[in-house]
Order: sequence, then C-alpha cells, then structure tokens
Amino acid sequence: MARAKKAITSTIAEAVVSIIKGHWVTLVNFWRPTVCERYPHKDKSLDYKPGPGYKGDFALITDKEKGRLRCIACQTCERSCPNGCIRVVPEGKGKERYPAEFYIDVGLCMNCGICVEVCPVDALTMTPDYECSVHDPRDLVRNIEQLTERGLEFDEVSRVK
Amino acid sequence: MPVVRNGGRRDACPTTNSMETQTALPTEELLINMGPQHPSTHGVLRLVLTLDGERVVEAVPHIGYLHSSMEKIAEASTYQQYVPYADRYDYLNAMGNEFAYVRAVEKLCGIEVTPRCEYIRVIMAEMNRIASHLVYFGCLGLDSGAWTPFLYCFREREVVLQLFEDTSGQRLLYHYLRIGGLRNDLPAHFCDKLAEFLDYFPDRIKEYDDLLTYNVIFRNRLEGTGQLSQELCRRYSISGPNVRGSGIPYDVRRVVGYSIYPQLEFDIPTQEEGDAFARHLVRVEEMRQSVRILKQCLEKLPEGEINVKVPRKLKPVVGEVFERLESPRGELGCYLVSDGSEKPWRLHWRAPSFYNLQVLPELVRGAYVADIVIILGSIDIVLPDIDR
Repeated sequence: MARAKKAITSTIAEAVVSIIKGHWVTLVNFWRPTVCERYPHKDKSLDYKPGPGYKGDFALITDKEKGRLRCIACQTCERSCPNGCIRVVPEGKGKERYPAEFYIDVGLCMNCGICVEVCPVDALTMTPDYECSVHDPRDLVRNIEQLTERGLEFDEVSRVK
Repeated sequence: MPVVRNGGRRDACPTTNSMETQTALPTEELLINMGPQHPSTHGVLRLVLTLDGERVVEAVPHIGYLHSSMEKIAEASTYQQYVPYADRYDYLNAMGNEFAYVRAVEKLCGIEVTPRCEYIRVIMAEMNRIASHLVYFGCLGLDSGAWTPFLYCFREREVVLQLFEDTSGQRLLYHYLRIGGLRNDLPAHFCDKLAEFLDYFPDRIKEYDDLLTYNVIFRNRLEGTGQLSQELCRRYSISGPNVRGSGIPYDVRRVVGYSIYPQLEFDIPTQEEGDAFARHLVRVEEMRQSVRILKQCLEKLPEGEINVKVPRKLKPVVGEVFERLESPRGELGCYLVSDGSEKPWRLHWRAPSFYNLQVLPELVRGAYVADIVIILGSIDIVLPDIDR
C-alpha cells in the first residue's frame, strides 16, 4: 500500500515545523546534565566502581583463621569451565590437599562465572576489578600468588545484594 | 521502479530522461562489492551489487565472515556450559537468546520454574528489547546522516545496561539465566530504579520522534523506500517488526503465548504501508508497549524462591524439542536434540536476522545505491545472528 502524495505547500509547512521541533529538542538536551565521563581520572578514587557481584578479575579467598587458602584443589572449576581456561595442580592427599599451582587465563576467559558457582567450598570469587589489561599477553595468565594477593580483601564470595 | 535488463544498454533504463541523445552511447552494467568492511553494513556483510548507473539491478549478499560455530560448540559442551554461548551470537538481545535456550532445555527435561523467576525473565527480555530497539533507532539515524539521535539513544540505553550490570555482573553478555532459575535475585534497588526509568522513558521516546521520526528530511528518505509486500513476507518467512510493518499482526508473544505473556496486556503495533518508515514506526511503538509490559510486571512481581532444584549432571531423556519466542528482530527458535547424554546431540538456531536478510535482494532491486543503506538499517540485522 503506497503512501499518498502531498501538496508542496503542506510539505514546506511540515518541514519548517519539524526542523524547529528538532532544534527545540537539542536545546532542551543542551541544559541536561552530562552523562559521559573522561574515564581514566588522575584521581583513581573518581573512577567508576562496579557493585558487588560484578564479574571482573579473579581472586582466591584465604581462610584467615587457618591461615591458608580455602581451595581444596578438587578441580571442579577446571572441569566445568566451558573454555578450559583454568588449570589446578593439586598436592597432598585427603584433608591436606591444596593447590600447588593455580592458573587462570583471563585472555581466554569469557567471564561466565560458572567456576565460582560450582566451587563446593566458595574458595574462588570474581571481583569488581575491571582493569585487566597488560602489556604482555603472557601476563594475562594469572598465577596463584596474584590470585591470593587479590583475594586478601575478600572474606566471602562477591555476590549481588 | 523496475529496471528492464536489455543487454546492459542505457536506453532500457526508464530513469533516463532524454532517451534520444543517449541511445547512441552503449553502457555496461557495473559490478561492485559493498562490504565486508563497509561502515553501514552493521558488521561484516558483503553485498555484490550489479549496477546500472545509480540503480541496483541485482544484489547478492555473501555471509559467513563472522561464522563462529555456535551450533557445533553446543555438541561439545554440557547443557549448563552452553548458556553463556547463547548470549554471544545476537549480542543485542543476549537475555532473549538465553531465554530461548533455557526454555528449550527446561521443556526437554520437564522442569517447571517458579512464578517469580518467570516474571524476572520477562522483565529482562523486555528491557533487552528496549535496549536493542534503541540501538536500531540510533543506527538508522546514523545511516541516514543524523548523528545526534544516536547519542541520546545511547544515553537511555546506558540506564538499562547499568541495571543489567547491577543484576548480572556484566553489561552486554550477561549469563544471568540458568536452567531452572536465575543466577541471583534482583538487587535491592532494582525495582525503584526501573520504575523511575519507566516513568521518564515515554517522554524521551516522544523527544526522539520530534528529533528524528517526524523530521521531514528523514521521512522523505524512508517513505516508499524498501517496499515489502505481504506476499514477499510469506514467501521469505519474514518475522518480527518487519512483518508487522507490512500489516500482518504476527507476534510470537501473542501467537504462542509463552511464559507469562498471556497474563499481560499489550498491543501488537502494525502499519499497513510496508516501507522503511512503517517498520520504523512499528519499532518505536514496540518500545512503548515494552514499557507497558514492564510496568505490569513490576506491579505483579510475586515474592518467593527463584530457583528450583536441578541435578548438576543434567541428563534429559532421548528426544527433540523446538522452542520459539519473539526476539527484537523476529521469531527466534531453538531446536535441540538429546541422545540421553550430558551434552546436546544437535542444536540449531532459527535466527531471525538470517531469514530477514534473504529478502534484501528483492527489496533493493531498482533502488538507488544510497537506499541500500537505509533498507539494510530498516530490516535491523545483527551479523553474528546471521552467521552463528
């Protein structure tokens, strides 16, 4: 169904009205508050902080009473990761089992959070840190020292409240 | 206007004004590539165009530049592991894709989810529809040379994305829906923030209309461009706002009535004309209807549990299932075959963009080259959705 043709006078009148209306909208928006931020602020405290439950960089939680990592190196996270970006090297047997090495390739990770959900002892968490970029791609593989250090400020798994 | 092919001679083209002077000059048809690196193809679509002057004689879309084996990956991962992949092919409608996949698996396993979970899923799907249509609106403005509406649309989309981030922990690829439930309940401030957004958003849509939709330059550009007849819609199995712009009130939310949609009041906006402007009007009206749906959902949102118990090792019975729902681009279907093991035997997506793109050669035949950009923008394709 085609549209009907209009007279030239009504088209001109419409054009004038629509252009004035459009300019009015831009004028109104000119006085609205700015929403864009110049992201890397000089003062780091002004940077955006995501809320709890954000799927950012990883951390291993330390059990502060026992003074050791909560992780029991059961390798459930390794098996359930869709991309296979986790590698855990267990050491010891039974209750003494602990991760000797723990690698997460953040470059391969798609931040789905399945590893955190399947953990039976809530030892692994995703933190609100979103600045994961490095100069060398090999540094994207997080090792156990980096993960432990990042986890020191966490007592529990970061969850949405 | 149809172009008569006559050995590529200029005198066959009805656009030529002074035919007598031009018949002596033989001309040839020109073959050019539009894309895959063309900024207005919304990704990496390659169109091979046969041109007669400025008019298109033939257009052949070449797809597959973004192929990522999304369907094959499903055969190698368990049912739970595939949910984050479902986000990744139609990235503007990630929640909707998850919704389709999760519903298919639940249907296969016979899992019933809780009422609160259903409501939250519908809230998420409708918010995603608003976000997706805002991207469409802004990009159509860009395609037709209007830069400002894009910025305003992204300002409003940011509010929706922030709510998604607070809820699911990600801004674009959420992985929020789970088989038998959700990742977590809504955060404490969610309902208030969303209600606030829904209060002012209809006024903002009116502003966009004043700025872009009823601008006379934009209207003249869109009206009569890319006429899509009802017959073409049926032949090519077009769905979504494209088919509603041609006057067929086909919406899976109404036709199938999945989830809680039968309990909600909303209209199916249609336009009779079938051109790019009609499709545009349908999408704008759909945003208003989504606001209506979201307001009802917030009112009726029940309390209670969000998750039901699902075994960690999910082994459905042998069988197959097809589940469809309405994505912002049209009818999204998920076909799943189970052989009784932990992994799907086969998964197939009925991707709406793929079907909608097939009609493009018919729409652009006889149009100007510059109109291709408008027509492509008005059928609203997402390239990973086409290539999967």
